[in-house]
Amino acid sequence: MRIQLALFASLSQYLPEADNGNRLSAHAQLIDLPDGSTVGQVIAALGLPDEPRIVFVNNRHAPESHVLQEGERLAVFPPVAGG
Amino acid sequence: MRTILRVNMSDLSITKEPLPEKWANYGGRALTDALVFTEVPADADPLGPDNKLVIAPGLLGGTTAPNGGRLSIGAKSPLTGGLKESNSGGTAAHALGKMGIAAIIIEGMPEKKTCCYALRLFPDGEADLVHRHDMAGLGTYETVAVAKGIEATEDRMTEKSSFLVIGPAGEMGMKSAGIAVTDPMGYPNRFAGRGGLGAVMGSKGLKVIAIFDEGLRYVEHADKDAFNAAVKKFAAALREHPVSGTGLPTYGTNVLANIINESGGYPTRNFSSGQFEGVDGISGETMRAITLERGGNVKHGCHSGCVIQCSRYYVDKDGHYMTKGPEYESAWSLGANCGISDMDAVAELDRMCGDIGVDTIEMGATLAVYMDSGKIPFGDAEAAKAALAEVIKDNALGRALGDGAEATGKAYGVDRIPVVKHQAMPAYDPRPIQGIGVTYATSTQGADHTAGYSITSNVLAVGGTVDPLKPDGQAELSKGLQIATGMLDSLGLCIFVAFPVLDIPAAFEAIGEMVSAHTGQTWGADELMELGKEVLTYERIFNEHAGFTAADDRLPAYMYTEKLPPHDAVFTVSDEDLDSVHDFVAETAAKMGIS
Repeated sequence: MRIQLALFASLSQYLPEADNGNRLSAHAQLIDLPDGSTVGQVIAALGLPDEPRIVFVNNRHAPESHVLQEGERLAVFPPVAGG
Repeated sequence: MRTILRVNMSDLSITKEPLPEKWANYGGRALTDALVFTEVPADADPLGPDNKLVIAPGLLGGTTAPNGGRLSIGAKSPLTGGLKESNSGGTAAHALGKMGIAAIIIEGMPEKKTCCYALRLFPDGEADLVHRHDMAGLGTYETVAVAKGIEATEDRMTEKSSFLVIGPAGEMGMKSAGIAVTDPMGYPNRFAGRGGLGAVMGSKGLKVIAIFDEGLRYVEHADKDAFNAAVKKFAAALREHPVSGTGLPTYGTNVLANIINESGGYPTRNFSSGQFEGVDGISGETMRAITLERGGNVKHGCHSGCVIQCSRYYVDKDGHYMTKGPEYESAWSLGANCGISDMDAVAELDRMCGDIGVDTIEMGATLAVYMDSGKIPFGDAEAAKAALAEVIKDNALGRALGDGAEATGKAYGVDRIPVVKHQAMPAYDPRPIQGIGVTYATSTQGADHTAGYSITSNVLAVGGTVDPLKPDGQAELSKGLQIATGMLDSLGLCIFVAFPVLDIPAAFEAIGEMVSAHTGQTWGADELMELGKEVLTYERIFNEHAGFTAADDRLPAYMYTEKLPPHDAVFTVSDEDLDSVHDFVAETAAKMGIS
């Protein structure tokens, strides 16, 4: 299964090394995952720091228990704000 | 006893009077509101002699309260027609606070329109007005340099002084004109931008307010030890929270670009889409990388006592100061909303807005409306710069642009004009982020994100979560935030303290403890929230007197029907919910004895 993974701000450094043109932008790239992977499993595999974060799947907030589907976009942010 | 400095521009007199006892606990927005409400007729011409410009530090101005140096400027707005409070950082608020000045009232106007007067306030309490014809038409940066009596240098302008200045747009009475406030380095890059208050200052013939506070000390407290203890508690909470302690100081406010874009609420090309394909070019992450590479400053406070430090300086390719690191709202308005994805171009537009002296939010929205008319293409930064340059050339295009998004839309036949109460919407589309839509619709200020920043719970998971795509709970969320913001603005606290305050109980307690120790009275949650309600009540009733009705508390009609990609969202909060936001006003007004 292939999804888009996007990591922002201080989490950008955890984006895996891109190859084969899988990099989509400065913050996003395509990654391959076992079928049935959850958001939480991806976060654990990436080794993201154990701190609060904001997760979107296909532009909507999603829980870390969400089971990812082929073609979905997963975006993860550390706590940020401004205004 | 704090004093009011009353400056009459009709006869050029300056008088001092004690702050009325009934307003002894008012500062900032509460005080600018109370004075405008009491002294300005609701039907006054905003650019006529009956309007008054009121400038007030918060109640904690001149103290060591962390992030307590915000400045409120109030008047009847030439843009909205309502009671306006525009809020700025910079060093002026603490300087005024140290002088014991609760508010400056600028009233009347010269018989013959004339430019330019400078009001000077000295450390010994003296004040005078000087006529400086040589400042007429100058941009804000050059104005500060002239006012200081020194030549501007590119990299450093320092002295123990603070300046409030207007640019040529303010002199010309443009409704998008703001008032610039100098930062700790003396750059006029902080703005009371919204609502055209620069035009009010210009109508008074006033170009500069210079505040010299050399040698003045912080103000005294009723209980110094208790105040210092509360300050430590508050500062610790600000440092502990990940947003105010890490996210904001590292990336600045523009760290929001990617997350709002991800949520589908990043208004693009005049609010025609909720995502911008060029966001990488203008994001906070990119701005930080560019600035570090060029040797610019990426972390400082806009006033002394700032713990959060979200300010930064944007520099050109040779490392010279261009403008402050464009804030999220500015990078969005002059970037995504105009289809521009080049950070240098955005910074150039930001500097131009600052120098001309116009609100970046209003001007970015205005340029996008102008682009939507087909006169210039979206994404064309050079055309945007050329159009912006027309604002101060005294022609029809310049006047339309200078008067804002609605004036431009009407002049050039654009149907979709994203304004409420005549003021342009900021950097969040209210269709997929409905809580901010409630704030835009119902705020006394016109479309204004800072009036009740529902982005917290709608997108950022601060202070709980409320689904941004649904109408449920949005009115209640916005109402609470609007009241709390009225309180913070009156104390002179930066609204970014709200992020820890919403999540860390000790932070909110510390605010009450600071105010209690400062005033010698007991301030708990109830008293603080009552202050916020009083603020909104002044504004709401003034606006009613000025002719506003429930029909003004609505979003533009197209936002109820035209779907915004990617969520295909429309605004669905009911009129009944919108009308519930100010349900406390009648009761509060009765308690205050105003009608």
